[in-house]
Amino acid sequence: MNAVAVIARKEAGDLLRSPRGLSWLLAMAAALSAFSLLLISDAELSLLDNAEAVYGMCAVIMGLGALLAIVMGVDTVAGEKERGSLVPLLIAPVARDRILFGKLAGIAMVWAAMYLLALPYLWAAGGAGQNLAEGLVSLALLGTPVVLGFGFLAMGMGARLGSTRSALMVCLVILLLAASPVILGPSLRQTAVGRIFDWINPLSVALNALDAVIIDSQAVVSQWLHWNLTLLFSGITLWFARDGFYRTAL
Amino acid sequence: MKRFTAICLFLLSVVALATPAFALRISIVPDHGNPASPQMGDRLRFHTAIQNDGNAAQEGVLAWISLVETDSGKEQPVDLEDWSAHKAVVSAALLPGQTVESIWPMRLIKAGSYRVVVSAMSRSGETLTASPFVDFTVRQKPVVESSRIVPVALSAPLLIAGLLIWRLRENRARA
Repeated sequence: MNAVAVIARKEAGDLLRSPRGLSWLLAMAAALSAFSLLLISDAELSLLDNAEAVYGMCAVIMGLGALLAIVMGVDTVAGEKERGSLVPLLIAPVARDRILFGKLAGIAMVWAAMYLLALPYLWAAGGAGQNLAEGLVSLALLGTPVVLGFGFLAMGMGARLGSTRSALMVCLVILLLAASPVILGPSLRQTAVGRIFDWINPLSVALNALDAVIIDSQAVVSQWLHWNLTLLFSGITLWFARDGFYRTAL
Repeated sequence: MKRFTAICLFLLSVVALATPAFALRISIVPDHGNPASPQMGDRLRFHTAIQNDGNAAQEGVLAWISLVETDSGKEQPVDLEDWSAHKAVVSAALLPGQTVESIWPMRLIKAGSYRVVVSAMSRSGETLTASPFVDFTVRQKPVVESSRIVPVALSAPLLIAGLLIWRLRENRARA
């Protein structure tokens, strides 16, 4: 088995097999369950049609995925450094790029696990309505670069700051800032500053595209600009992670 | 005979003036912006005007909205808790000829045929005054189904919790 696959399986395996990782997944499932139960227990929310429920669920899944990717990303370099296991890994006869891509693939596998965990919830919320399949495709296309982007950002931040606590703090603040349009509501988007922020914030870009596809029934391909913007975000953060990793390795 | 008629008319006018129960009059009209064919989740508004047609001031006027379901076999009063937060208006005093106008918003929670009415009373009044009925029908809308959500919301965390417990026991056994 090549080195990238070995490292990716080790990184993802930590989450999917270890009690620590399983407790994270349990927390994610509990959050999705709580959100689902809110949808039916509140009179106002229970009147949401299926498409709105699927959209809301996709936003929560993407937010939770980004959070998980940040925790994973910070741990991949800063965590290893603090545990003293980074140096043995770097002196192993494996190319640095392979180590790096193995760790990046680990984050991708964790997002895949999160996506699979979310499928029954999405089916339960929107199975009886329209645009569920389009929602799943859009979540995969737009959510993947956004979630991985936050993971790469956390990896780069962890490599630069060299401390899991500091990197986690900075990344969580960035995630909170990115999620502010969701938290503060649509009124924030009416101002000029709000509109600009909407276009440079990857989470808003992805959510606006999901809104267009799931609620407004627009074609998935019509959201190519949004998709490219999320790809640009993951590209920039990938460069940030790679640069940080190489600086650490030096 | 003329004297008798005059006495009767006098007595009738005294009785009419002394009876405050019929002094209030309520008119009700649906808002122009209401959807023509509302469905679950839509909002309706009704405008009422409560007028004091009597000669005396009406004190402590209270008006409230009521909703009844009128589908055959399901006739029942509706608990407005989820439908409206604006269930009553109070006016300390309504002078003769004075009118109190109110807007009654309502969120449509359940499909069916309904009849809405606004009733009013005053502290000194002896009978209830009610507006004419306004009928409307709420269309069904596909919404989130609890029968799908509950099994998934409960079973997924339980499954992962079971896996976690099994893994913890396995680790302890190895140690």
